[in-house]
Amino acid sequence: MKGISKHLPHYFVLFGVLFAGILAFILFSYDRTFQTIVAVAVAISYVIWGLVHHSIHRDLYFSVVLEYLAIAALGLVMVFSLILRT
Amino acid sequence: MKFIHKIAHLIFPRESNNQKAKLLHNSSLTLITFAFIFYQLIISFVPRFAPKILGFAANISPDEVVRLTNEKRIQVGLSPLTLDSTLSQAAQAKGADMLNKGYWAHAAPDGTQPWVFFTNFGYKYRYAGENLARDFSSASSAVEAWMNSASHRENLLSSKYKEVGIGVIEGNLAGVDTTIIVQFFGTKYVDTAPIAPIAEAKAAVASPISTLVPAKVLVSPFNVTKSVSLGIVGLLLFVLVIDGILVSKRRIARIAGRTFAHIAFLGMILAIALILRVGRII
Repeated sequence: MKGISKHLPHYFVLFGVLFAGILAFILFSYDRTFQTIVAVAVAISYVIWGLVHHSIHRDLYFSVVLEYLAIAALGLVMVFSLILRT
Repeated sequence: MKFIHKIAHLIFPRESNNQKAKLLHNSSLTLITFAFIFYQLIISFVPRFAPKILGFAANISPDEVVRLTNEKRIQVGLSPLTLDSTLSQAAQAKGADMLNKGYWAHAAPDGTQPWVFFTNFGYKYRYAGENLARDFSSASSAVEAWMNSASHRENLLSSKYKEVGIGVIEGNLAGVDTTIIVQFFGTKYVDTAPIAPIAEAKAAVASPISTLVPAKVLVSPFNVTKSVSLGIVGLLLFVLVIDGILVSKRRIARIAGRTFAHIAFLGMILAIALILRVGRII
């Protein structure tokens, strides 16, 4: 929790991006192409957020980058699969 | 005891997993991702080898579609539509045509317009319209989807229409069993006025009208994908929370991503999985 309060502005940016993603999915529920683009954009933003955040925090390592990529890829695969089957 | 240790190794940060739940290791996350892709491939190929297992099957009553449509019309002060058997036959034929020719559109690949089905069944129209829906689990969800789309709502709530015909048909479309709802709107041509379709329509072919589609037990590809996605994300969120609490409590210093950021991202995936609904309209 200490880390979160210390980097609150960072987390506000991340929450803003994620919230915008959810909102876009609700507002554009009829447009699957747009939803796909939104999912990719949010996943990329999440990875970039991780890189910038850890870079500022001076603890950016290759394994950390892979961790963000792995979680983003898993999330994307799930969202793509769901969009494909709606 | 060995089993308990294995579970603890997967879920809790400890010495055996280098103070990070094994499920959160990059190797585990990658493995889960590939397993999910493999699972999706299986779902995609199952219908080829074992039809009638995966697909969308719904027990949708045409009478229920008419009832809900009229309910919406009455709410805005319009007169209810009369169910016309000729229109229903035409709608059923349109649905069969889509399945036979393998298309999902208002006009057939050969250019056949929906209005052709009206006239083929002897329904001389002054006004005609069509709404299509597929993969919905109930009549109410399809009618709600139409109401949420401006063009479909316009058809549904048009004062120009006096009659309605509903065709509900099950079959294999693009390799997946599905249920299609065809809603034909019309007003009979009773004087010398020219024929005028007022709304986009979609397909038909003849077969007797059924008032109720028999229910079939099929597994919806969307539902199984959604269930597995929710299960995986739920499990990872649980492990992340446990991991975050224990690492913070034990003051463990380690090289890793921010647990809170991962929770937020996976929370968004969870929300999207819950928001997405199956069913298409045109």
